[in-house]
Amino acid sequence: MLLQSEIASILLNGLQQGAIYALLGIGLTIILGTMEFLNLAHGALYLVGAYTGLIVFQETALSNGLLYSLGITTMGFEGGFLAALVIVPAFGFGVGLLMERFVAEPFYDRPETDQLLVTFGLALIVEETIKNVIGGNTFQSIAPSTIFGVNVSQPISLPLVGLFPSWRLIIIGIAFLVIGLTYLAIERTDFGLVVQAGTRDSEMVRLLGIKINRSYSLVFALGAALAAFAGLIGASIQTLSPQIGMDQALIPAFLTIVVGGAGSVRGAIAGGLVLGVIVSAMTQTYSQWAQIVLYLFVALMLIFRPQGLFGTAEVGE
Amino acid sequence: MARETTALSRRDVLKASGAAGAAGLTGLAGCAGGGGDSEYPALGNYPVEGDEVVFGFNVPQSGSYSQEGADELRGYNLAVEHLNNGGGWVDNWDGLSGDGVLGKTVTSVEGDTATDPDTARQSAQRMINRDNAIMVTGGSSSGVAIAVQGLCQEEKVLFQCCITHSNDTTGSECVRYSFREMFNAYMTGQALAPVLAEEYGEDLNFYQLYADYSWGQTQQASMEQFFTDVANWSQIESVPTPLGTSDYSSYLSDVPRDEADVLVLNHYGLDAANSLPQAIEAGLDQDMEIVVPLYNRLMAEAASGSIDGIFGTADWNWQLEDDASQSFVEVYRAEHDRAPSYGARIAYTQTLQYAAAAERAETFYPPEVIRELEGHEYSGAGLGSESMRGCDHQAQRDVLVMQGASEEEQTEDKLLNIVSQTSQDDLGYACDAGPAAECELGEYGDE
Repeated sequence: MLLQSEIASILLNGLQQGAIYALLGIGLTIILGTMEFLNLAHGALYLVGAYTGLIVFQETALSNGLLYSLGITTMGFEGGFLAALVIVPAFGFGVGLLMERFVAEPFYDRPETDQLLVTFGLALIVEETIKNVIGGNTFQSIAPSTIFGVNVSQPISLPLVGLFPSWRLIIIGIAFLVIGLTYLAIERTDFGLVVQAGTRDSEMVRLLGIKINRSYSLVFALGAALAAFAGLIGASIQTLSPQIGMDQALIPAFLTIVVGGAGSVRGAIAGGLVLGVIVSAMTQTYSQWAQIVLYLFVALMLIFRPQGLFGTAEVGE
Repeated sequence: MARETTALSRRDVLKASGAAGAAGLTGLAGCAGGGGDSEYPALGNYPVEGDEVVFGFNVPQSGSYSQEGADELRGYNLAVEHLNNGGGWVDNWDGLSGDGVLGKTVTSVEGDTATDPDTARQSAQRMINRDNAIMVTGGSSSGVAIAVQGLCQEEKVLFQCCITHSNDTTGSECVRYSFREMFNAYMTGQALAPVLAEEYGEDLNFYQLYADYSWGQTQQASMEQFFTDVANWSQIESVPTPLGTSDYSSYLSDVPRDEADVLVLNHYGLDAANSLPQAIEAGLDQDMEIVVPLYNRLMAEAASGSIDGIFGTADWNWQLEDDASQSFVEVYRAEHDRAPSYGARIAYTQTLQYAAAAERAETFYPPEVIRELEGHEYSGAGLGSESMRGCDHQAQRDVLVMQGASEEEQTEDKLLNIVSQTSQDDLGYACDAGPAAECELGEYGDE
């Protein structure tokens, strides 16, 4: 493979993987930064998103499922995934609200070890519940084959890269659209201002008379919605099984915020992309070293820049 | 059977000398054992006390191969039910009568290997020490099988392999206390290479991805050997991928589309369920043929839209028309409402094999059970005539070459078509060749 096309291919694969890391990282980082709450159930939210996506995808598939049983057999396009794009983040948002109220809030003032234990326990409960309710089966990825009549199951030819799965190109676009909107919401809105201020000094925000508890709920729910959305994106390219929350989401999410810096949305985006490209580059060149180099890179970040790329030294102290 | 006669006479000799000599010297503990089975010294979990005998089913209930584990358990539980109450193959296999084993009711304990050798070893250790399992069985993942069979050799408890396809299991890592019904990667290469050469032609270039652990490594080596020697193909490159990889896109991006004629995906379980659809998604099937040397149902189900026409091998398939296969399919379907996978068949077979050997030996004393299994010939396991070879404990049996069915052809049970049943006469290797050349079985425990 030519060097230019190899680099292009690494970047594109890295972008796709990095987008999922960034989505996870943003969710985790705003919860950690704002509330100083370590959420080990973040992977479980990814899992919830993936399975909700699966159910929505199946139930709205027009050849069978709920809509079919109601007599709706044509919508002009393959509606399952589009419906999931709306329903999954909304459901994740709802789960986040409940989780903040009933799991996180009682533990805000408790030691971090308690937070870790309760959220890890919650992650296990979610995983086991899915195993018991839906089963431990593996499900096929839920990518649609057409969108608005356009075939997206075939690869398309890109300059330099060559053939690339067209669905992956689309999800890169969708993921970065959501990342961009989240970034704007946090950088350009009053809500975002409160979130940002909260990540720096929540006491001061409270003293200014801002009802930060309501913001806490919204931040937590937004983080959960992003994790669920990442799960939906992941489920569209990989098979689903109950362990993906731990394996594919939780660790990458933490690595992302270590690299990007806790509490920084910009950092989560940068961290996700950096990690995505590292994994992609190593896999494509020296695959056996991929994991070692990944963790080595994170370790070096911790040693030489513990606050991460965009983090502030105060956060987490 | 002639085999049983010789085994019986050997056992009689041992009884006579053992009662007077070995038992007296090696310890009297065994002599206090119950169940009228006390002519041998205590060894491992022998003698079996009480009215029940415990089998340990150590399967992956989590991790990459967890669905295989669920199917294995279904096979194991069916075997226990039939051993205790009759039915299934019990009625057709010599020595088994459907009233337990050696007059004892069979009970079982289950463990989760988590598809991880260390966890599996700990789980098996618990079964041996706490539950007094007289036999442990399980797999999937050769890494797990090799770890557990090593432990079983140390503990003098029999291990009946389930899904394990690495050459090492009955090759360099073989042990006296383990037996394998499943075929191995070497035999996959022998069965697959001629079919592929005929189908795709000679002088092709192939590129391999393989799961980076015991199974994947021997699988890769066997494919390289037979595709090169038999099909006359050339390997471009062979790339390891970590077990449990979910996104193969970077590995697949690196496959040289211009050079490669065949892409060999040496993945299994969840890994294969990801790598194959992703290869198709990337359009690699437009530029080259894809081969999945070892099929399994999980992968075929998860990748159902992608397996059309793809070749591989399988341990067994419910579509085989012989009486044994069909009777197993019938009892399994009655219980679980669908056809069994090959994982269920191996689990069922290996459990019955142990039970029948104990019945023939008339004791649970491990060395005697081992001697009954070594060289035993049998034909009721759905693959025609088979034998459990004494020199490496590898079953000598036929291998099925399969091809993925088209989407229109596929049903819940039928995902693959049987292309051919390669006779064992065309497979295998001598005791001093292939993986067996590296096998040293170790001790019986009564030397």
